[in-house]
Amino acid sequence: MSLNRRDFIKVNAIAATAAAAGVTVPGISEAVSKTKDTIRWDKAACRYCGTGCSVLIGTKDGRVVATQGDPDAPVNRGLNCIKGYFLSKILYGKDRLTQPLLRKRNGKFDKEGDFEPVSWDEAFDIMAEKWKAAMKEKGPDAVAMFGSGQWTVWEGYAASKLYKAGFRTNNIDPNARHCMASAVGGFMRAFGSDEPMGCYDDLEHADTFVLWGANMAEMHPILWSRLTDTRLTKPGCEVHVLSTFEHRCFELADNGMIFEPQTDLAILNYIANYIIENKAYNKKFIDKLVNFTTTPTDIGYGLRPEDPREQKAKNAGKGKLSKISFEEYAKLVKPYNLDYTSKLSKVPKDQLVKLAKQYADPKRKVSSYWTMGFNQHVRGVWVNGLIYNVHLLMGKISEPGNSPFSLTGQPSACGTAREVGTFSHRLPADLVVKNEKHRAFAEKVWKLPEGTIPGKVGAHAVLMQRHLKDGKINCYWQMCNNNMQAGPNINDEMYPGWRNPDNFTVVSDPYPTVSAMAADLILPTSMWIEKEGAYGNAERRSQFWRQQTKGPGESKSDLWQLMEFAKRFKTDEAWPKELLDKKPEYRGKTLYDVLFRNGQVDKFPKQKVTDDRGNVYDNEEMDHFGFYVQKGLYEEYRIFGLEGPKKGHELAEFDQYHKVRGLRWPVIDGKETLWRYREGYDAHVAKGEGIKFYGRKDGRANIIFAPYEPPAESPDKEYDLWMSTGRVLEHWHSGSMTRRVPELYRSFPDAVIFMHPNDAKKRGLRRGMSAKVISRRGEIEALVETRGRNRVPEGLVFVPWFDASRLVNKLTLDATDPLSKETDFKKTAVKIERA
Amino acid sequence: MNISGVLVHIRPELVDAVKSRLGDFTGVEIHATTDDGRLVVTIENDTGPMVETMNSFHDIEGVLSASLIYHHFDEDIEQ
Repeated sequence: MSLNRRDFIKVNAIAATAAAAGVTVPGISEAVSKTKDTIRWDKAACRYCGTGCSVLIGTKDGRVVATQGDPDAPVNRGLNCIKGYFLSKILYGKDRLTQPLLRKRNGKFDKEGDFEPVSWDEAFDIMAEKWKAAMKEKGPDAVAMFGSGQWTVWEGYAASKLYKAGFRTNNIDPNARHCMASAVGGFMRAFGSDEPMGCYDDLEHADTFVLWGANMAEMHPILWSRLTDTRLTKPGCEVHVLSTFEHRCFELADNGMIFEPQTDLAILNYIANYIIENKAYNKKFIDKLVNFTTTPTDIGYGLRPEDPREQKAKNAGKGKLSKISFEEYAKLVKPYNLDYTSKLSKVPKDQLVKLAKQYADPKRKVSSYWTMGFNQHVRGVWVNGLIYNVHLLMGKISEPGNSPFSLTGQPSACGTAREVGTFSHRLPADLVVKNEKHRAFAEKVWKLPEGTIPGKVGAHAVLMQRHLKDGKINCYWQMCNNNMQAGPNINDEMYPGWRNPDNFTVVSDPYPTVSAMAADLILPTSMWIEKEGAYGNAERRSQFWRQQTKGPGESKSDLWQLMEFAKRFKTDEAWPKELLDKKPEYRGKTLYDVLFRNGQVDKFPKQKVTDDRGNVYDNEEMDHFGFYVQKGLYEEYRIFGLEGPKKGHELAEFDQYHKVRGLRWPVIDGKETLWRYREGYDAHVAKGEGIKFYGRKDGRANIIFAPYEPPAESPDKEYDLWMSTGRVLEHWHSGSMTRRVPELYRSFPDAVIFMHPNDAKKRGLRRGMSAKVISRRGEIEALVETRGRNRVPEGLVFVPWFDASRLVNKLTLDATDPLSKETDFKKTAVKIERA
Repeated sequence: MNISGVLVHIRPELVDAVKSRLGDFTGVEIHATTDDGRLVVTIENDTGPMVETMNSFHDIEGVLSASLIYHHFDEDIEQ
């Protein structure tokens, strides 16, 4: 059989697809074996969402030419989603940034000047000058960094170290604040340890799947295909879907429910009440393993303190739990009966009962999934807790198929933002800056004088923007995200701070995003497989990849940028005399020396990076700094999990991850953990203990009662519609990568207003007409869509946020969950008019 | 030039109807079918709307998911 090039590629495509389908196609494997491949294939974790699919990257002559789903990956088993379709093209957008750009006029930096190319030296000179001036005048809290759940593990770690220890401020927060913070709050309050107890294997073990505010079909397509597989092959399997509008998941739903925004709080309390009234709860489990508690109510909306809604709140920002009895808990959920809940939520009674029965039946294994519907919620921590309440009442947790599971939106929201602790209140491995012992432990690992890390919690994402506007923060570095498009209330709270003449703002990105164009200095970034990297996905799986190709022009990785910038500061310029007196040998050294040349990070000498097939890979950071930077940073970071005060965060050795398709922590003696807290699966639970929630001292999880409370803003006479914003299948987040892939751009070029035909008609609108969406804070124009994949109920519109020319976040309010500080992007009051 | 392999998951009882609808697309070929509703499909499309093709699979009644398995986009492979 002779094959031309086209046939050869086609044969490979068929072979890979057939393997994923579990079938053999006659003649194909022989055909494949006859072909000679000149492409170098190697694995990498996908650049987009938190699923953590592994892809095989095909490189030829230094350029990526092909990708395929990794058949050896336990997560995606050879599958890819449509964004993965053109994954490698995100590297080759025509407008990749190749050199630093500074706003200048007459040869000098000028905030009102135009962008001009400058050298890295000039870029860092002006940055260091601004940073030093601000720190000298106002102290360390005048500088800040806004990072990312898309940072590799070591980039987040280096950034956190540079800010928390080097600059001595906790003003560092990731964009994961916008997507995960409520999930973190829920985990810490209920279990004292972040991240799910279960894993993706639950997708094959559950009898019932319940989606709470997660459009898995579009946002986590690979997990959705695994769920679909189980639904179709397992007799009696059911899928229940809850959302504020109908989306693609409803096609598979046995029970699809549209609820009034915010009433998920009531529905979950109804289920708890149903379980108690029917005496279905697992008494043995709750007697041994559960505390009943309640949380302060009327806690405000995380707005500026002078906002009347904050003034009115009795317990603004409060969250200290009080213990109650089971009987008291039962009394608190009692008002959430079927009549009340159905009326409030607008979900028909029979559907609510059908849902409650799934949880209340002790014989059915239930897995619950949620994403932004729960997390971007002014009561996000509460609602995360309420789903655990239901699972804990039944003891349906920490075993195959019984799994409350928080999905993530970014590739390393877990691995970097959460595990490394790049939040303004956190340190690695679940430690927090407020705890003196935790700070002392971090200082010991980092070989720093006692008292280096400040105990004051830094500014979180939304507060950082307010501080920029108010001139309290004067230097701001944004890396690996597009906050000027992603953050809330752009007109009132974001843009004014960036353009405040007292402030200097820096954006590191591969592309000229909305953020980059609003900054004073733009730094060109080598992205994804243009560097060696590691991500951690939603099921606690850490995955590594090697550098596959070089970034264009003078672009540099985030890691390079952070470490090079650290060279610009002497310890004397960043630390007070009293601190240096405790470690006089650090005097006169640079922050780079004390943070990254401490005998640990620089412990591993330069080496050749190879795979087991004899291929050799570049590592530009190793070449530049003269040691294996990624390995040194990782091995130092690993100490937090191995020796830190919080149990259960062990990671494997660096080299092991390059050999496997990821491992789920805790990794003990080289073995990963599939279900945490249960004997037989989790090595931290001793023989005979059964289940132990060891994240908390008493080994028990907290059931936390929280009531229904209204959102910060609801439709009224003038602004008479709910607006929800979110993603679409074709574009990832702000579209800075996917909109540069011509095929993806064409397939969903502009954001549209998904609207009910009756709502359109009432306003004199029809499908395809241009309309204005107006909130109290701004307006945008887009076309009306009354058909298509999202069918919204009357009274609600959905407008995606990927479109840089229609910034939905001009409309949103910067109201947050007062506990997690995460913005509610799902409930904005708007009106719509003909444009 | 794009060639890709796509795994299409369908409701098994609708296999004939789905296959005939898939056959209407230019550049789409079905190479294998399983009893539980899995189709091995390739899309070849030099200039046409690849993503639209794959996306419109979802609009066919009976299609539950379409997942990309393999994608090649060499620019000069017409030897």
